[in-house]
Amino acid sequence: MKRLGKAITMSLAALGCAIAPSHAADPVKVGFVMSYSGWFQPIDASSINGALLAIKEINAKGGLLGSQIEVVKFDNKSEPPLGADGAVEVIGKGAKAILFPSDFDFGAPGAFIAQQSNVVSLSGASDPKFGVTGIGPYAYSISNAAQSQGALLAEWAYKEKGWRSSYVLLDNTISFTKSLCGSFSKRWKELAGDAALAGEDTFLNGDPSVSAQVTRITSLSAKPDFVVLCSYAPGGPSAIRQLRAAGIDQPILTGESMDGDYWAGTVPNLSNFFVANYGSTYGDDPDASVNDFFKRYEAEYGQKSDTSYSIRGYSLFQAWAKAVDKAGSFDADKVSAALDSFTKEPLAIGPTTYTPQLHIQTTRPMTILQSQGGKFSAVGKFAPETVHLD
Amino acid sequence: MIDPAQILIDAVSVGGLYALTALGIGLIFSVMRLANFAHAELVTVAAYMLFAFSGSPVAVAILVAIAAAVLLALATERIAFRPLRGADSATLLISSFAVSMFLQKLLVFLVGSRPKALDPLPALSRTVSIGSLQVSALKLVTIVVCLTLLAALTAFLKWTRFGLQMRASAENFTMSRLLGVRANAVIAIAFGLSGLLAAVVAVLFAAQSGFVQPRFGVQIVIIAFVATVIGGLGNLFGAAVGGFFVGVVTILLQAFLPAELRPFREAFLFVIVIAILLFRPQGLFPARNLKERV
Repeated sequence: MKRLGKAITMSLAALGCAIAPSHAADPVKVGFVMSYSGWFQPIDASSINGALLAIKEINAKGGLLGSQIEVVKFDNKSEPPLGADGAVEVIGKGAKAILFPSDFDFGAPGAFIAQQSNVVSLSGASDPKFGVTGIGPYAYSISNAAQSQGALLAEWAYKEKGWRSSYVLLDNTISFTKSLCGSFSKRWKELAGDAALAGEDTFLNGDPSVSAQVTRITSLSAKPDFVVLCSYAPGGPSAIRQLRAAGIDQPILTGESMDGDYWAGTVPNLSNFFVANYGSTYGDDPDASVNDFFKRYEAEYGQKSDTSYSIRGYSLFQAWAKAVDKAGSFDADKVSAALDSFTKEPLAIGPTTYTPQLHIQTTRPMTILQSQGGKFSAVGKFAPETVHLD
Repeated sequence: MIDPAQILIDAVSVGGLYALTALGIGLIFSVMRLANFAHAELVTVAAYMLFAFSGSPVAVAILVAIAAAVLLALATERIAFRPLRGADSATLLISSFAVSMFLQKLLVFLVGSRPKALDPLPALSRTVSIGSLQVSALKLVTIVVCLTLLAALTAFLKWTRFGLQMRASAENFTMSRLLGVRANAVIAIAFGLSGLLAAVVAVLFAAQSGFVQPRFGVQIVIIAFVATVIGGLGNLFGAAVGGFFVGVVTILLQAFLPAELRPFREAFLFVIVIAILLFRPQGLFPARNLKERV
């Protein structure tokens, strides 16, 4: 926390120094209405750092339309409703675009205000509702929709691995995990047939034990080829620990909610674990520009990015800056029109497409990482072919 | 087909943890009518101690965890609850919420909200074959530890001087004070014991879940509260039975509910709880002193 604060202060100081008084244009402000404290803080921290790095690089190259970018911070204290207060505050200070937390429930309260005030909202939320349908035409997510990740896991398991029987273990606590497992099952049944789903079960992230769920799997007459676990830390890693302790060594597949290795100590010698995320932080991503980004991140903050979420924060401002340049204006209508014209726009996170109807990614490739013997490494980049958003 | 023996082992190991937690809560309630929500933080702090001492030998880490939980329990009693002794039970309840929230936020402030991984009993993360059954070694140890502690606690309450004093205080606090039982000592021992039980739960629970975070203890204590109420607030035997009961019912519901109803497992559990309380408002084993006298 202290280090984060210091990093932010330092980058703000750097921003301040970069603005020479002789520059003609006034600085342009962007808002960060994020969780700087509370339980959501570790999830937002790397997005914030990524976004700050993008802004620093843009400013170093002379800024946007001649203006240096200045960040106005607001701490939502991990309380979603405070996001609305934050949006009002940073818009009052002149923010032209606002970064919101990477979750629909956390980001939406502020994004609604931004939409009403003609300000662009940027987020890493993986819910298609963070866009035209749920918020309005000024809300953009940089992520692959949960439905895209579920389809990706199904196609990868079926086509790349040749697996034919799956088991779905759903953490029924948040909407991301429900969409992830729901879309996996749908795509998996299309590919492999209804019978290829050996079973489904649910638990809650806070459940003290998943014994009964584990026993249901160990009691199957034929072991599934792999298990899809839709969950997040700490309940998800704890479930893996309990599965492994019961002798279930099958491959486990999951999406971005279990990105990062900060929890890996929960399962000693974590093996046969596969996760889809936005890029390998281990220097072995198939995309060289991803490796380059994480190297710059480490140089800037003196530590590795603990999840791939930082590249989302970075790419959001990269996208916004490109759109502003293209539009020649900070006006939300013009910037939004420029964003909507993105077709496989090369961003750090990968080729990104927006349309006037859809402000989230469906078929952009994701990196699949594996952990074997407690060591993480990239398997490759894969894109889903067929994604059902509902 | 799920083996019934497997379900039984699941149910008893989960129920045992609930029972130990419910006992820790029940001990305090029986001597001072305090529903101590801060019991969750005793569990949490003990688990953080296991994390902090994860480089040391297992025995050292466990002893430090126990010492920390006992000291914290005594400190909360001395600082937060003793000045309120004799206050309305609602006041006590609110103050225990305050202590609980304070400690939780303090932990977020000190160590952050991100879960920390720990593996306090690495030797137990494997399976043991019993006949055709594959059973996790940790589950077996959990069952043995829970049953041993229950027996030890029963022996303490039945056959020691302090045990007798505690039972007397539980039955009629004023009368036992008049007869020479020292209130401060009895209550301090009750808090110390609840700290010890919390630490044991922390070790077993952390070994099962493999992480600790600031709300670690809340997960289990919330359910243990339900167990205490079902068993009969103020009755220690009832608390233990209530703990096992909730554990067994949860596992059975998860194992036998049809897939489409499983997400609503908690709803079924609480319908059963409500049904029990409708027929036995004081719980299955009402504390004698809490019965209304005619």
